[in-house]
Amino acid sequence: MASALRAAILGHVRVPVVVANGSKLLAPLWTHRTTAVRSMSSHDDHLEKNQVIDRILDIVKSFPKVDPSKVTPEVHFQKDLGLDSLDNVEIIMAIEEEFKLEIPDKEADKIDSCALAIEYVYNHPMAS
Amino acid sequence: MATPSRTEIISLFRSLLRSARQFPDYNIREYTKRRTIDSFRHNKTLSDPSSIAAAFSDGQSQLQVARRQSVVYSLYAPKIKSIMDVKP
Repeated sequence: MASALRAAILGHVRVPVVVANGSKLLAPLWTHRTTAVRSMSSHDDHLEKNQVIDRILDIVKSFPKVDPSKVTPEVHFQKDLGLDSLDNVEIIMAIEEEFKLEIPDKEADKIDSCALAIEYVYNHPMAS
Repeated sequence: MATPSRTEIISLFRSLLRSARQFPDYNIREYTKRRTIDSFRHNKTLSDPSSIAAAFSDGQSQLQVARRQSVVYSLYAPKIKSIMDVKP
């Protein structure tokens, strides 16, 4: 039984022909390929949520008209912080600069609170 | 001349701030940004439709100037970065 199984397996397993010099050349190349870091992949260095929250809160707190003690991750720019639509645009532009993003006008118009800004930046694949 | 809508004004404001970013020279970049913000704040209380339209078209012509000048300034970009641009 065991010997029949062994014969059946060995019949299917192919032992590569080893050439003394050739294997030394090929082996390191192959292992290198499989373990190489995908440096251009956007998901390898994706931002942590805490990091995004901290950086956005810092931007909002450093805005001249804002009282830093009122800033929380859920704060609404116009209702809670007493900012106007121009300030809103300024904050979004500051966020763009901080995370090296380009937020389209349609999206930028919708972002009117810290919560939405954090969500947008966190879900953006190019944020850095 | 038709009175510009709120979204058009916000969009002009954003375009001006975006064009301000294009300047390679720190001083010009900050000036353009400051000038944009100050003049929009200055005209915030306008209520007369014709003066709103006049301010809007003035802003649009300033946007053209800023875009043109950012191209010109990029040809003569400063060789040394401003100390304000160097992050510790």
